[in-house]
Amino acid sequence: MNGTEVVFVVLSLLAVGSAVLAMTSPQLVHAALWLVVTLGAVAGCFVLMTAEFVAWVQVLVYVGSVVVLVIFALMLTRQSGRTTAEVTGNRWTAAVLGLVAAVGLGATMVAGFAGERIEGRRIGTAASIGEALFTDWVLPFEILSGVLLAALVGAIVLSRSGSDR
Amino acid sequence: MVKAYGRGLWQGLRVTWRNLTRRSVTAHYPDVEPDLPPRSRGVIALQEENCTSCMLCARECPSWCITIDSHKEVIPAATDGGRDRSQNVLDRFDIDYSICMYCSICIEVCPFDALHWSPEFAYAEGDLKDLTHDMNRLRTWMDTVPPPQALDPGAEQGKELDAYERTRATEEGL
Amino acid sequence: MSEALDVLLRCLVVLGAFLTMPLLVGQMEHKAMAHMQARVGPMAAGGFHGWAQLVADGVKFAQKESITPAAADRRVFELAPAVALVPYLVAMVAIPLGPFFGQGVLIGQDLDLGLFFVLAAMSVGVLGTLMGGLGSGNKYSYLGGMRVAAQLMSYELPMVLAAASAAMLAGTLSLVGIADAFEPWWLVVQLPGLVVFFVAGLAELQRPPFDAPLADAELVMGPLTEYGGMRFAMFLLAEYAGIVVLAALTTVLFLGGWAGPWAEQLGWAWTLLKIVGVSFLVIWARVAYPRLREDQVNVLAWKVLVPLALAQVTLTTVVVVW
Repeated sequence: MNGTEVVFVVLSLLAVGSAVLAMTSPQLVHAALWLVVTLGAVAGCFVLMTAEFVAWVQVLVYVGSVVVLVIFALMLTRQSGRTTAEVTGNRWTAAVLGLVAAVGLGATMVAGFAGERIEGRRIGTAASIGEALFTDWVLPFEILSGVLLAALVGAIVLSRSGSDR
Repeated sequence: MVKAYGRGLWQGLRVTWRNLTRRSVTAHYPDVEPDLPPRSRGVIALQEENCTSCMLCARECPSWCITIDSHKEVIPAATDGGRDRSQNVLDRFDIDYSICMYCSICIEVCPFDALHWSPEFAYAEGDLKDLTHDMNRLRTWMDTVPPPQALDPGAEQGKELDAYERTRATEEGL
Repeated sequence: MSEALDVLLRCLVVLGAFLTMPLLVGQMEHKAMAHMQARVGPMAAGGFHGWAQLVADGVKFAQKESITPAAADRRVFELAPAVALVPYLVAMVAIPLGPFFGQGVLIGQDLDLGLFFVLAAMSVGVLGTLMGGLGSGNKYSYLGGMRVAAQLMSYELPMVLAAASAAMLAGTLSLVGIADAFEPWWLVVQLPGLVVFFVAGLAELQRPPFDAPLADAELVMGPLTEYGGMRFAMFLLAEYAGIVVLAALTTVLFLGGWAGPWAEQLGWAWTLLKIVGVSFLVIWARVAYPRLREDQVNVLAWKVLVPLALAQVTLTTVVVVW
């Protein structure tokens, strides 16, 4: 158990703990901010696994943009003052489903990858990721851009269909 | 096209750069006394000897800020069988500067040149009552009254000076 | 020198720079803005033309009471200034100053992904003002927070695109590498990118003319309305530290960093000089231009800066491939 692993365990516990707090926090703004802590801890984990580029992109995109968008949506849609989450009777069903999903995913991961070590360490610099993205993974990359474009156009169409054209 | 679009941007920069490179017009007041023009109205000074309590200033003041109290004193006759003279003596001459509007009417109206303008302006007080200057304080302002301004080129001097010079000439001639 | 001592020394120097350079920029703003408005600015503090004005301000802020409104979300409200301030300190670690008399480049820590690190740190700082706006329990702060969110989100895109074009031309994401690879003809090729980066950076910092979130006449002080005392001073320090970081980034990315005569010995001086120059431009922009309206801010971001930044990226791609 060297220093890196200790820090990794601490960051992982931080990520899981703040994720639980994000889920259970009645104040929605607090939930969004706990999400920031979670994503920051995950970025820290990425750094420890030498995936630096992904870590900083995680901070730039997730923390800097996605959480800001979440808070922005919160501000636009909540009635002023009432920022508490609504608690309905469905929460037990949701908890059971979430547990089933977590157990299922965890079982799949363990069954698929338990005991394996990653061969040939690849340092996650921008150069190596760029190379992989444009040689081995070009097709999924282009398909993803197509999906993003479709989402963008769809969002514009959806937001316009309410108002006059 | 670009010029038409960016003209406001360019002018903003130009104006501010010009201001930056020129000396600023700020007067550094407490360190440097202001350069007041002649005949500045700062505070009204009273020359008590000239005042005869005619009450013209108190009556003409539009703000009613002047308060005058006086009494008559009898000066016995200089010679036997002569008439006793009476003289007005000021007891109280207050100007309330919290009401005074510095219109100059009292000074213009005084027939005896008892009131004068002084350019002193730094007499702010912490208490409203202290803004009423009594006779003694108005006397101290007389020390700050500047000598009469030089006449503008080509102006006529006042009639009293003409009369004085005529009298002097007559006396000299005699 | 041992590793730990070296790291500690670097951290201390960066902290020192972080605490003094914003104050110098602030003093320059007082005096330059004043003279541009035909007045003189602070003259009394410190005797000689008021050089100690910001020191006096610091002492004043330190002895003020920091009030938390009753309707405020306590922890969010109290954490917001720290969240706004610390990212700029973190960003300053990766920004190089230049060669110091042949000793190598002065920098906190040279990261291979320095550019991304700095941009990511600056984007976290956005959350600070947002938290302040939401957590104040005040309608004006709420409105200001919404304006902050829209503005800062909109302007991150052109800023990242322009920075990416500079990185593409240099072929590396390391800030030291980008500054080292500078050649004078880049000034011409990267001119749109420079303009886009500078304008987008101004909007990220909510500096006039992009201070619609903080508009006095409309929103009292926007997200900063309820802040007083040391917390307000932290927000102000964050603004001026942001100006220093923006000026440093513009210098390193687009103006060649330490390029100039005797760059090996005096490179750090050239960089500092250019940072002062760009900060002066930031201050000049504040004085010369009126505030943009909220819809004009968004139009400028999406209809002008993003296409311009994309055009710059295309141009850079052509230049690099050619």
